[in-house]
Amino acid sequence: MVKPSFSGLNAVQRQSLVISLTAFFTGILLIALVSVLVLITARGGAYFWPEPIFAVSIKSDNAQQSKTLLANVFDDDAQQEVRLKYADAGNPYGTQLLVERESVESLSVALDSAQIKLNDGRQVLAIPDHVITPEGTNNQLSELTRVMQKVALLSEKITTLNTQFLAPIHEALSRFDNRDVAADAPAREKRVAEFNQYQQQVLNLERQREQYRLAVKFADGQSFIIPVSNIQSVDFVGRLSLLEKWQVAISEVIIFLTESPKQANTSGGVFPALFGTVLMVFIMTIIVTPFGVLAAIYLSEYAPNTALTTVIRVSVSNMAGVPSIVYGVFGLGFFVYTLGGSIDSLLFSDTLPSPTMGSPGIFWAALTMAILTLPVVIVATEEGLRRVPEGLKAGSYALGATKIETIVRTVLPIASPGIMTGVILAIARAAGEVAPLMLVGAVKFAPALPIDGEFPFLHLDRQFMHLGVLIYDSAFHSQTDAKSASMMFAACLLLLVVVFVLNILAVLLRTRLRKRYLEG
Amino acid sequence: MRQVALNTHISATFNVELENLRNSVLTMGGEVEQQMVDTLYAIKHNHAALAEKVVLNDLKINSMEIQIDEECLRIIAKRHPTASDLRLIMTISKAITDIERMGDEIERIAKLVTRNKLPSSDTIKSSMVLIGERVIDMMRGTFDAFARQDEEAALEVYRQDNQIDSEYKRLITYTTHEMEKITEDMQDWLDVLWALRSLERIGDRCKNVCEYVVYLTRGTDVRHTSLESIHQKIEDLT
Amino acid sequence: MLTLFKNNIKPVSELTSEQTAVEVKDLNLWFGEKHVLKDITMRIPENKVTALIGQSGCGKSTLINCFNRLNDLYDGCSYNGEVIIDGKNINSKKVNVSRLRAKVGMVFQRPNPFPMSIYENVCYGLKLQGVKVRRHLDDAVEKALRQAALWDEVKDRLFDPAMTLSGGQQQRLVIARALSLKPKVLLLDEPTSALDPLTTLFIEELMESLKKQCTIVIVTHNMQQAARVSDYTAFFHQGKLVEYADSDTLFTMPEKKQTEDYITGRYG
Repeated sequence: MVKPSFSGLNAVQRQSLVISLTAFFTGILLIALVSVLVLITARGGAYFWPEPIFAVSIKSDNAQQSKTLLANVFDDDAQQEVRLKYADAGNPYGTQLLVERESVESLSVALDSAQIKLNDGRQVLAIPDHVITPEGTNNQLSELTRVMQKVALLSEKITTLNTQFLAPIHEALSRFDNRDVAADAPAREKRVAEFNQYQQQVLNLERQREQYRLAVKFADGQSFIIPVSNIQSVDFVGRLSLLEKWQVAISEVIIFLTESPKQANTSGGVFPALFGTVLMVFIMTIIVTPFGVLAAIYLSEYAPNTALTTVIRVSVSNMAGVPSIVYGVFGLGFFVYTLGGSIDSLLFSDTLPSPTMGSPGIFWAALTMAILTLPVVIVATEEGLRRVPEGLKAGSYALGATKIETIVRTVLPIASPGIMTGVILAIARAAGEVAPLMLVGAVKFAPALPIDGEFPFLHLDRQFMHLGVLIYDSAFHSQTDAKSASMMFAACLLLLVVVFVLNILAVLLRTRLRKRYLEG
Repeated sequence: MRQVALNTHISATFNVELENLRNSVLTMGGEVEQQMVDTLYAIKHNHAALAEKVVLNDLKINSMEIQIDEECLRIIAKRHPTASDLRLIMTISKAITDIERMGDEIERIAKLVTRNKLPSSDTIKSSMVLIGERVIDMMRGTFDAFARQDEEAALEVYRQDNQIDSEYKRLITYTTHEMEKITEDMQDWLDVLWALRSLERIGDRCKNVCEYVVYLTRGTDVRHTSLESIHQKIEDLT
Repeated sequence: MLTLFKNNIKPVSELTSEQTAVEVKDLNLWFGEKHVLKDITMRIPENKVTALIGQSGCGKSTLINCFNRLNDLYDGCSYNGEVIIDGKNINSKKVNVSRLRAKVGMVFQRPNPFPMSIYENVCYGLKLQGVKVRRHLDDAVEKALRQAALWDEVKDRLFDPAMTLSGGQQQRLVIARALSLKPKVLLLDEPTSALDPLTTLFIEELMESLKKQCTIVIVTHNMQQAARVSDYTAFFHQGKLVEYADSDTLFTMPEKKQTEDYITGRYG
């Protein structure tokens, strides 16, 4: 007799229903994952890809005559309007315009126009017309490459003068200041004279450099002059072949990875943020690994099996669930103000009241993240330690090893994959965390990297930039145009890549350890 | 021919134990053979002292049987022999019973000399010696077949028993005639008859041992079958 | 009278203390409230193989753990009585447990090589003892591996991970590891229960050759194995030593009915 079942299904149907349901939800999960990746990759990748420039004719409302603009066109099929990013004489560095789709009369690729990127992160969309040099006014456009090289040479000379001659003199002068040397002391006067001489040279060179200029025209025929020294690159986007577009994109990526942000985090690169993120995670790993491992060893190997141990274990697991902002507040209140303040009054009392360690900085950020990720490491390590076969430990004891020798020589190597798992999770968590970092040291713009050539090379007290914070900042303050919004996505993409790379490295390491210690 | 390889076990001690066991059987066999030789000599030369020694020596053979039996028991208990090893142990355990019995039969013949009850007839005496020599050959062949685990040799020995049987029958008939002639001392005649019977029995014991050898190498029980069917059985197996 | 078979196994009662490697006197052991070993007194003869047999949980493994004080690792274990090795009571507080364990080697049920190379596995104990000279280590490793009849199989791959060896090889490696410290006593806790029958025979044969150098105490569930390898056998039941005799006697004519029932498979 067939048993009556819910909603009149037989056993086979019921089973396939369950299978379909589970498969359905797995599918939804997959779609969600893939769409996150695709969105981030597509929008982030678009940041690097050169946008074609169009000559767009738009019907004006008041007159019958139409207006032509050189613009990047962002055409979203779902919406009525077309978004144009254009430049004209009034707004040489670009502005945005929303126009009705119907009012666009014609759209043609502007072959002659170029995307001129400037050193300060802005860009100009225009038709390069001619090059102005001190020798002759109207040079052919083909001269541009040569002229740019010449200007680069001049810039190099100026930099050399600045760093090799002016900077030491400036330092010497400030030393005189510190020692209260009289303003008319002969040595000082000599220095000042030297300083003036070099400064004159620099000024001359700069004046010479400024004479090299590029004249460009906008769509309405108005011209605009750009000093060649300001130009980073000139790309005739319409004429680029696919390969050249790739080259442009790659050079964009390199700039993105190696340069500082410009124009309030809407342009340029994210190098300081990338560097800050990796360095913070690195310092955090150095702090959290020994702490977590030692704590886990105590809990699993030494702690007596009492209620207190159980309580400790439970609270460690619960610590993992505390909201991260709480850790941020704790870090600010305890590490920065209390601990940092005490350190300042003990070691850096000469610079007070301006704080050294008593203000948010990369070390406090790393320490806060270490506290935040400590439970993860402890739990994973304990798990790894528990997996060490009792027989191996007994074997070690039976050969005359003491407890500590057994732990160091046998238990830890075998538990190392477990420890690595904990560290991986900790790294992934710390790299993606934003909220607590904003309280204890991450800023949207830091003037200097935490590592430089100045003693003591690693400046743990400095504030730093962080990719997550940069994304947050881009998302709320800088979404003024289409391109800079995609910089946020590019930063997201980079953050994803960083987390993936860190994870993959750790997973590879773990696999190697596991292979070595478990499978042989 | 499948030999039981004694020295190929993983356990070297087990090898040594089996080897020792087999050698001890051969030692025992050699001892019994020597007893037979001595007895025949005693009969031939009416050498009572030698016969006395044979009778005493039988104790040694008895003790050997007990020791070998104990060792077999010990090996079974400790080593749990299987297959060819098990057959070897069982074979030895049974063969030594037969060998010990051979010793007893020899002792009975020797006692004929010690009690000075040898028949006066030279014909009977020399016939006894003749059968005795055949029996010695048979014993030698038997122990040899056991040592080499050679079933062909064993069957050869098996065949020899028929001759001994026929000679024994002849001698019995002759002796009965003699008894009819000289009717006094019936008791002495009976002793002679027993001794003759003992000689024949030794041959049968040899046959038994040969059957064990076939069992050892072939794993087939050939007891209580005729020579022809033994051949048949062996051929079936090969 | 002629003796055909030599027997150099003395009855237990005739063992002198000079011939004794481990002497146990009135040993009692508790795990918490549970009385695991009850008044054990026995002499384990030198350079012989002694097997301890009995049902699971009868205390035989616990007893050999007493010989290297491995029971100290377990919480709630308490004991009294004496275990005398080398003329010293190892249960005394003054005994250096590390040194004791170096002198009393132990091999466990499952092969437990450390996740290192073969070479490092054998060196483990020596390095703990502070041997650092490479040449000494090399010599000791070769010697130990030879004694464990493993040298020829692994001499070309000493630095391969020990996990690549087969089960039987691993168990021999573990034996070599114990032998590297030149122990006086080698404790084997069901050393072959995880191995196939043929490998088991190889390990047993190894024991036979090792007893020239050290005293072997083996715990086994396999009665046949106890019969095969041991010179003496002790039968335990519920923490008590029921019968202790040379194996020939115990397996042919046991004195106690309990022993007889156990070894003949009549155990209730």
